[in-house]
Amino acid sequence: MSPVAASNPPRPVPAKAGIGLRFQHHQAVLDVAPDVAWMEVHTENYMGGGTPLRYLDAIRRDYPISLHGVGLSLGSAEGLDAAHLERIRRVAERVEPALMSEHIAWSIANGTYLADLLPLPMTEEALAVVCRHVDQVQSYLKRRILVENPSTYLRFQHSAIPEWEFMAAVAARTGCGILCDVNNIFVSAHNHGWDGSTYLAALPPAAIGEIHLAGHSVRALPDGSSLRIDDHGSHVIAEVWALYREALARFGPVPTLIEWDTDVPPLDVLLGEADCAGALLASAGQEAHRADAA
Amino acid sequence: MPTLLELQRAMRASLLDRNDGPAAAMLADNVPADRLNIYRNTFLTGVTRALRLSYPAVHRLVGDEFFAGAAAQFITQHPPQAACLDQYGADFPQFLKCFEPAASVEYLADVARLEWAVNRAIHALDMAPLDLARLAALPPEDQSRVSFVPHPSIGLLRTDYPVEAIWRGVLGGDDAALAAVDLTSGPAFLLVERRVAGVEVSRLDPDAWRFAVALCEGQALSDVFAACPPSERGTAEARHEVWLAEHLAAGRFVDFRLAPRNAPALTASSEAVP
Repeated sequence: MSPVAASNPPRPVPAKAGIGLRFQHHQAVLDVAPDVAWMEVHTENYMGGGTPLRYLDAIRRDYPISLHGVGLSLGSAEGLDAAHLERIRRVAERVEPALMSEHIAWSIANGTYLADLLPLPMTEEALAVVCRHVDQVQSYLKRRILVENPSTYLRFQHSAIPEWEFMAAVAARTGCGILCDVNNIFVSAHNHGWDGSTYLAALPPAAIGEIHLAGHSVRALPDGSSLRIDDHGSHVIAEVWALYREALARFGPVPTLIEWDTDVPPLDVLLGEADCAGALLASAGQEAHRADAA
Repeated sequence: MPTLLELQRAMRASLLDRNDGPAAAMLADNVPADRLNIYRNTFLTGVTRALRLSYPAVHRLVGDEFFAGAAAQFITQHPPQAACLDQYGADFPQFLKCFEPAASVEYLADVARLEWAVNRAIHALDMAPLDLARLAALPPEDQSRVSFVPHPSIGLLRTDYPVEAIWRGVLGGDDAALAAVDLTSGPAFLLVERRVAGVEVSRLDPDAWRFAVALCEGQALSDVFAACPPSERGTAEARHEVWLAEHLAAGRFVDFRLAPRNAPALTASSEAVP
């Protein structure tokens, strides 16, 4: 385990609802200054200069920012791309994010970036690789990161560790936090016949630093069953809201993000989703308060 | 039991080379091998989208289907090497130049070269322009030894066809402008740069373009001047001063160095394309 310096961000992300900020909404956010507690951006979209960074500089004056990476490939057997890690560090230096996160997945093999969050085999070897890389990232960035549970469409024959135990082990061994993507749990649970509640119950509440919510699509399979695909292209469905309530009951109020990355709707639609999450967060906060008082 | 490295190389072979065998053999019993298609499609559509964003005029010129076919071949031959797709696709113009099905659109590769320069300018890192007071503070005898560092958004290219007119016409949907393009009008000497309002493409006079190339390559002012044919030196100095003043006012340089005293003159490379 590596020593992790406590991050001291200028503006912490509160345990309220935030939205994923896409380029389409840069100007609208500046124009209407929406009533939302924080925003998250994909780190990879701000690695160059010019317009995107100028917008983010302006927006982050009014909103705490979370940097969510999609390309570091924490699970690559061949090691991390040092140049990419340095690009991430540079963006963080400029943006001063309150939170930083990455994925329990891989995307680089044999020097090729496969541009997707690919599934890891759930093995001791993969766990050791991920933990070594999380240690490396946290000491390079001199701060704690969060790691997100994946959505997956296949499993490997030799996987031996339940994914929820894998997630908990990464947090326990490295001191990193967990970004609990409730939609991903729902999608993977459906695709693999797991129980979403079992998954949530196995995660250490103290490690949960953020929750993601998003929409997904359903694909009918020839055998009459269905596969759920995590495409971030629609409203959060009722079953995912229900699993979210369960997550809040276990974890207490946690910063919660609405992700919507394909067929991006008008800003108002995103804000409406964030309001729904905000209402559930507020009542979870009251529950937690009552429990403390009792 | 396969190692993590073996598994990842098997998945790469599936996604990139459509060789599903090794990866399929690693799947759990009740997982059908066609699940690999989902990942392959996500990879291909994601990287194709990145190329389309970097090459919007090429995309409009050839259409969706043709672009997707060319992109699929290009991606297999030159897959992305880093998780930074904004910087992916530098080899696409050269690929198009040799891509037989595109041979009838003779200017396509040149349009792609311009689009790559535009893409580089869009995503170049922010850098403050050179503080002119630093330059003014130099003793007069040192001024000719100055060699400049260009802003990373600057691109200079010479194309066989008037591609800036084609590029503007295609992206602006301006059919009249496109109809007026004369493909036989000779080479275009172009400057691409990012200004506050966005990326600008301008046509330069050939001599002004060569001067800009020499400066952006880091040649000292005295060397650029010395490389002019003796017969032109009388007029060259005055023109150089005007062009240099323009570059400095536009903030095209971010730093400068001093070449060693009495350094031998370099040969100007007039057609170099950075």
